[in-house]
Amino acid sequence: MNWFLFFWVVFKAILFSTGGFGPLPSLHTDFLANGWATETQFAEALSIGQITPGPNGLWVVSLCYLVAGIPGAVLSCIALLIPPLFVLFVQQCYNRIAHLPATQGLLDGVVLVIASFSIIVLMGMFQSSGVDVLTVTIATVSAVLAVTRRVSINLILVVAAVIGAVMG
Amino acid sequence: MKVAIKTAKKAASSGDSAALEMDSFVGLEREDLTILKLFLTWLKIGFTSFGGGAITQYLIQENFIYKHKWITAESYANIIGMCQITPGINIIAYTILIGKQLAGWLGIFVSVLGLILPSAAITVGISAIYMSLSQFHRVQSALHTVFAAIFGISLATNWRNIRPILRNNRQQGLLVFIVSLVILIGSGLIYVFFNPSVIVLYLLGGLSGSFIYWYVARKKVN
Repeated sequence: MNWFLFFWVVFKAILFSTGGFGPLPSLHTDFLANGWATETQFAEALSIGQITPGPNGLWVVSLCYLVAGIPGAVLSCIALLIPPLFVLFVQQCYNRIAHLPATQGLLDGVVLVIASFSIIVLMGMFQSSGVDVLTVTIATVSAVLAVTRRVSINLILVVAAVIGAVMG
Repeated sequence: MKVAIKTAKKAASSGDSAALEMDSFVGLEREDLTILKLFLTWLKIGFTSFGGGAITQYLIQENFIYKHKWITAESYANIIGMCQITPGINIIAYTILIGKQLAGWLGIFVSVLGLILPSAAITVGISAIYMSLSQFHRVQSALHTVFAAIFGISLATNWRNIRPILRNNRQQGLLVFIVSLVILIGSGLIYVFFNPSVIVLYLLGGLSGSFIYWYVARKKVN
């Protein structure tokens, strides 16, 4: 494993994205191209990241641990901590640029791109993890419940895990 | 109020000008703040926020705004706004700004450490357990259905992220609305068919959005 390249790939993915799942498309492209991870490992890491405490973005730590052990996990932690420090700079200029239409346009444009990517990437993972009546039903019901906010996300995940363990 | 002033003086001595904003202290019966207490508060959040980002955010509000009253809901709202245009995990950026406001650079250090150390360790621990249990069919099957649920939830999350943008842009006029749809669908199509570097598409989407908002705003003024 070329650790410098590994760190750079993770760091770059986080630096040029925002939010927990923002780095997903970039990581997905680079990790698969370098042969570091499989689609299954991505799906596993994303699932583990949802269950564990802390920001959802820690799924990256799980992924790096699954594919590169403790050194991978430590490097990914460092890569996760540096980009958000940029907020100190944002704080300095925020009041000056927040009201500009171009600032809002930039944010909205990036959010649209991230949404589009994330859905395509997750759909690919969902497909390769094996689509059947059960998983499609769980995905659909989860989406509806999450949009309507009828039940907590935790309950959805626990019920899904129990269904999987019982049916498995 | 005595306690609050004491805390303000303490924060001031750490050299953080943001902590001097007295308006954030008025009307608050704040709990006394020490570096140790700040660290322990984040540590507790890092250990107990099973269930990811939504739970973590809830616990941050609960502890810092409602329980200890160290920050106001207003300054928290500002923090959230600023963190939207910051790269990386938003919650880590929240942690940095809250830490800075309360205790300067040392505050940033203990806050980030307190949140990340336990949660990253637990994440690695659960990943390790998973690796040793992954040969069991039931474990794989459980994670498989959890992923299906996450896929569904992420459809909802992404929809909730883009819905206000699309709704707002439809009110702004047909041009902005069409450009938003083109960014949304176009970036997906470009990604599928040409597989370019993701950064290129972020820049393309961001700059297109930036330009069209600027253009429409300028046209309105004229």
